[in-house]
Amino acid sequence: MATRTNTIERNGTVKSSSTLREICARAITKSEWPDKDEFLDVIYWSRQVFGIILGIIWGIFPLKGFLGLVLFAAISCGIVYLYAINFQNVDEDAYGGAWELIKEGFMTSFAGFLVTWIIFYTGLHYESIIASKTVSASS
Amino acid sequence: MWSDTILIVFISVCTAFLGEGLTWVLVYRTEKYQKLKTEVEKQSKKLERRKEIHGDSLDKSVKKKIERDEEKLKNNNRDLSLVKMKSMFATGFAFTALLSMFNSIFDGRVVAQLPFTPISWIQGLSHRNLTGDDYTDCSFIFLYILCTMSIRQNIQKLLGFAPSRAASKQGVGLFGPAPGQFK
Repeated sequence: MATRTNTIERNGTVKSSSTLREICARAITKSEWPDKDEFLDVIYWSRQVFGIILGIIWGIFPLKGFLGLVLFAAISCGIVYLYAINFQNVDEDAYGGAWELIKEGFMTSFAGFLVTWIIFYTGLHYESIIASKTVSASS
Repeated sequence: MWSDTILIVFISVCTAFLGEGLTWVLVYRTEKYQKLKTEVEKQSKKLERRKEIHGDSLDKSVKKKIERDEEKLKNNNRDLSLVKMKSMFATGFAFTALLSMFNSIFDGRVVAQLPFTPISWIQGLSHRNLTGDDYTDCSFIFLYILCTMSIRQNIQKLLGFAPSRAASKQGVGLFGPAPGQFK
């Protein structure tokens, strides 16, 4: 692992050791992860996709207020924890504790989630939001 | 209402690519940067492994070796930050100009409705240049920052320009682990 020094490859999705398809196949089945970075990348990218999907759902529904934020954080962290510890059975200590796994890519996915939530909420429910605002303002 | 928000996402994608492109021209493609980055990467990995193997060993010679490695890594990290500085200034100027332009275009315009009321210290950002005291109104700058936070970092990672995990865990450079992340 240490002898490979191609940093650009090591960071990106294109890995020198396995292709994207192979990684995806390993991600959805229970498998061994000798390269820690590979597993963290899987968590990172699935989290981004997951955040965007949750944002769209929250926006369509529409979920409002603090509850939406808390629910997202709880679901996002809960799923990552269950996936890593229960499904993939990784040793959390090898990654520096469960916290390292839980916070991997959290802020980025949170920002992505907020953007999609705001965009879909505004786009789909604009008229009703404005109507309810004018009602509450006049009363 | 879609048009404003989609436009902001588009602007943020464009500026993220512009920023990365500019940094690529000024920094990433230079030999000095690549050499330093490889070096830092290698040293971080080595240090991490050494720490893992020896753990809390009380052996003085091992401790000394680790300390020496840490010192070397710190120096390299500082050099790396200095190399990046040049582009940070350039992108900083470009972004300030662009942002003030967009700010004047979207001045006083409510671009979106927030599905939540932001906490008080974010309200200054989410309600910037907007009239009225309805804090669920969202200003351009707030949505733009959120977009940039997610898009720029993902683009950096996708293109392989983000600092590696080992490096950001081990070494703290001149400006912290990932300088210029939220420009």
